[in-house]
Amino acid sequence: MGILTYVKREWIALWQSPWQIALVSYIPVLGVLCLWWLFSAGLPKQLPVAVVDQDNSQISRMLTRHMTANSVISVEPYSELSEAYDALRQAKVYGVVVFPHQFKNKLLTSRSPTIDIRYNSQYLLVGKLLASQIQISLGDGLLKTAEQKLLLSGVNPASLDVNLSPVTSQTTALFNRNTNYVGFLVPPVLIALWQLLAMMVFANALNQELIAVQKQVWLPTDFWTKVMAKSLLFLPIMLAHSSFILLLLYQYLNLPHAGNIGVLIISQAVMLLALWLVVTLIFLLMKEPARCVSFCTALFAPAFAFMGITFPTNEMPLLAQIWRLIMPSSHYIDSHVNVVSYGTHPVQVIGQLTSYWMFLPLVPVIIYLWLKAPKQEEML
Amino acid sequence: MSLIKLYFAEWRALLADKAIVVTLFGGVVFYSILYPLPYLHQVPTEQTVVVVDHDNSSLSRQLIRHADASPKISIVAHATNIQEAKSLIQQGQAHGLLVIPNGFRRNLMLGKGATLSYGGDASYFLIYSAVAEGLVQAGMDASKQVQLVGLLARGENPAKAEKSLHPVNLNAVPAFNPSLGYTPYVVPGLFLLILHQTLLIGTGILGAGQWRNQGYWLDVSPIKLLFGRLAMFTSLYILFASFYIGNCFYAYQVSMLGSFIETCLLILPFILATGAMGVALSCLFVRRDIPTQIYLLSSMPILFVAGFVWPIAMIPEPLVMLSQIIPAIPAINGMLQLNQMDAGWAAIQSFWLQLWGIFALACLLAYWGIKRRQLEVTNLPN
Repeated sequence: MGILTYVKREWIALWQSPWQIALVSYIPVLGVLCLWWLFSAGLPKQLPVAVVDQDNSQISRMLTRHMTANSVISVEPYSELSEAYDALRQAKVYGVVVFPHQFKNKLLTSRSPTIDIRYNSQYLLVGKLLASQIQISLGDGLLKTAEQKLLLSGVNPASLDVNLSPVTSQTTALFNRNTNYVGFLVPPVLIALWQLLAMMVFANALNQELIAVQKQVWLPTDFWTKVMAKSLLFLPIMLAHSSFILLLLYQYLNLPHAGNIGVLIISQAVMLLALWLVVTLIFLLMKEPARCVSFCTALFAPAFAFMGITFPTNEMPLLAQIWRLIMPSSHYIDSHVNVVSYGTHPVQVIGQLTSYWMFLPLVPVIIYLWLKAPKQEEML
Repeated sequence: MSLIKLYFAEWRALLADKAIVVTLFGGVVFYSILYPLPYLHQVPTEQTVVVVDHDNSSLSRQLIRHADASPKISIVAHATNIQEAKSLIQQGQAHGLLVIPNGFRRNLMLGKGATLSYGGDASYFLIYSAVAEGLVQAGMDASKQVQLVGLLARGENPAKAEKSLHPVNLNAVPAFNPSLGYTPYVVPGLFLLILHQTLLIGTGILGAGQWRNQGYWLDVSPIKLLFGRLAMFTSLYILFASFYIGNCFYAYQVSMLGSFIETCLLILPFILATGAMGVALSCLFVRRDIPTQIYLLSSMPILFVAGFVWPIAMIPEPLVMLSQIIPAIPAINGMLQLNQMDAGWAAIQSFWLQLWGIFALACLLAYWGIKRRQLEVTNLPN
């Protein structure tokens, strides 16, 4: 029998399993769209911040207006400090700004008043963002009063700016210009989801090959032809889904990308082969459907945490850095960032594929397990 | 069959199933180590920055030394031009960029002002914020120093000069998670989700293996089976929850501000609701390898919709409404507010009631589902 006949058989087997059909058709599309919808706001804006104004002076109101003008902050006035802190504890507001009593008085008599800022750092991303935005808004407002003060003390208006801040700074976000969360978080999340789907589809397809006779499990003698046929069938299907992800992100949403996105599909194909190599190894070790799936799940579920996008790779402990290399997705995401952010040349991206060499030592192990496993001619 | 007998029969069924044992015991222990593993160093420090110094003066060198002294930044290379710096960043040798313009010191001394440029790789947010914070601080420091020198040169009194440089103190303090660490941020929500997902998987596989087969589960009424199963899983998950909340939270330095009683009060309906929901959903499965896959796929959406990674106000309203039926959502939010944000019991009572509501609903569904599964087998011609 030629390999094409096998592929055809896999195709028929696919259509006989409703769960497999779901995994290769609507579940990926729904999952991708759902996760994108979750983050579709892209940039956090109008995050509630409690302002307790105990001074109620012209300056404190001016500073409040400056915060209101910031698109990230939505000011919610509170009269009682305790109420504001309760709201912070219940996550109704993400930050509290307190203008103390006699704030203006102290400022004018140069007794350095203190503005207290508390932010919810339990929600780390939001908290950090708010802390810096509140400080920028207040700093900007305070510059106005400093300007007045300098003018009053007889400084030449032309040299005002220099006197206030001799060194100005210009901070640029490289690559992800407007620090958009869709561009930052959604690609790795979707790749992690896609990896899980590819893992499941392949594990399920392998599990169909187990021949159970009276509590003994056998493998068919033409197992490897079947594995080849499965790879040939599922590779284009899964690549179609990953292309859908790329098209959605970089064509439809038009997220900024520096390099040629097309080359990533080659990268994804190699990632799939590495992933399926690991799945085959686990399958040969387990030889039981539910356990095989459980084990693969245990291995690949935390893939997102190990990608090194949310938390930088070089800050991970050594063990985590080693564990990271077991996940094909972390190899891929490096290429992805290279192409999307840095616009790496396709030839270099293909060169990066050599990092998958560490999956090759699995091959002799798999062959050994295969030789040891009990085999049986398929009963026709 | 008495309830006690059923309880032990359930235990035997659970322990006899290797797939469940691997998922529950193996999964819970394995994940407690594996998930926080990448985040153990908590805060990104010493991010690599490349410097392009067009000025090469005493002040620019001082600025570079000050930036290097910041715990957040490590200066790894000096590039002669921006092009070279860019290629270093693309090769991954640096994640940030500091450009000091030509005539930096001269312009400052002449009172003309100068502009420093910072850049950070925003493909990685934590790196970007660390680089930006570190460089801005170093720049402000240099700015303050120049101002001070200027004021002193103009004959200002040193004490007064110091004051006029800091007219207002901005005292920004993180309210919870004071170290801004990454494990106290991720672990509380994530671990509850692991408990939630493994419990659903456990009940799912157990159910899927039993329906359509003969067994003790046919000899009892649906109500009895549901409560026997809930009793078994609850006793197991009280153990797991104590391990996670009592042991792992402590090990990962997650703050526990609620009292023991309050935490137990919140965890009990969480386990019951999740268990009942699991039994109800298990009636939909007949293949033992499916539950793991479905629940695994749902993990990431549940984690993100819980609202501690991505602010809940930014999540589309329909998704938030839909997620309220998942026991993990009120449990994670209640637990965060109770133990990490010290909100007190009154504030989380609505979550607690919601969990009991989900429990009641799930019990009804489970009763109906088990009844249908039992009828299905007894109606089969043997």
